[in-house]
Amino acid sequence: MDLLRRFALGEIDAFETLVRQFQGDIYAWIVRIVRDPGIAEDLTVETLWRIYRAHQQFRPDGDFAPWARRIATNLALDHFRRKRPEQSLLAEPVGAPPPDHLLQQETREKIQQAFRRLPAKLQVAATLALVEEQPYDEIADALGTSVGAVKLRVFRAVRILRKQLNHLGVKP
Amino acid sequence: MKGHEGKEMNEHDDRQIREALKRSLPPINAELGRDLWPAVLRKLDNRPARVPWYDWALISLCTSVFLFFPQLILVFAYHL
Repeated sequence: MDLLRRFALGEIDAFETLVRQFQGDIYAWIVRIVRDPGIAEDLTVETLWRIYRAHQQFRPDGDFAPWARRIATNLALDHFRRKRPEQSLLAEPVGAPPPDHLLQQETREKIQQAFRRLPAKLQVAATLALVEEQPYDEIADALGTSVGAVKLRVFRAVRILRKQLNHLGVKP
Repeated sequence: MKGHEGKEMNEHDDRQIREALKRSLPPINAELGRDLWPAVLRKLDNRPARVPWYDWALISLCTSVFLFFPQLILVFAYHL
């Protein structure tokens, strides 16, 4: 019997194989959204746990990676909804950011501040589409929505950001 | 014509916002540093014990019997 079918039946060995195969991808997806390695690890463990609990809902003829990404994205969204606005996008960056003479530190902070204030759904869509440049169809799949809806969310995020930055007197 | 100019301006603004965001958000390392399987396994083992429905049914039945026939509590206690 193939791996996905065994997983759908709840076999722990099959699940372990899937964890080892996909944990890196799931972590990479989550860390791109939450931008904090520690939080991303915790959310990855939580995602994998939920994946196992939902094994009966998985269709073995389907694709595992997009299904896992959707669970991960929902958890990341929940995390933003719970933690905001204290959540910082500055937490533990890996390595120092590249020197940037064009953009002042104060401006950067104001942009981050404005970004953090976006509604969770818009922030996630904007992070994945604008900052991480992930394909729109992948983002749509992970958010459980259409490509058009993702584009709309990104458009709304940009519009709100532009308004907030104007209000803060920041010229991007 | 005006609509076309407006669209171009919007695209220009979008590009500006995109670039500003990229410059403002610190780069992240998307590589996972350790194996998470042990942590997942621990979490799976720590699942709270679930009480099956028939246990709840038995508890309800016993409570009802003791409510209607309190003297049976003594019989029950004697057999414990």
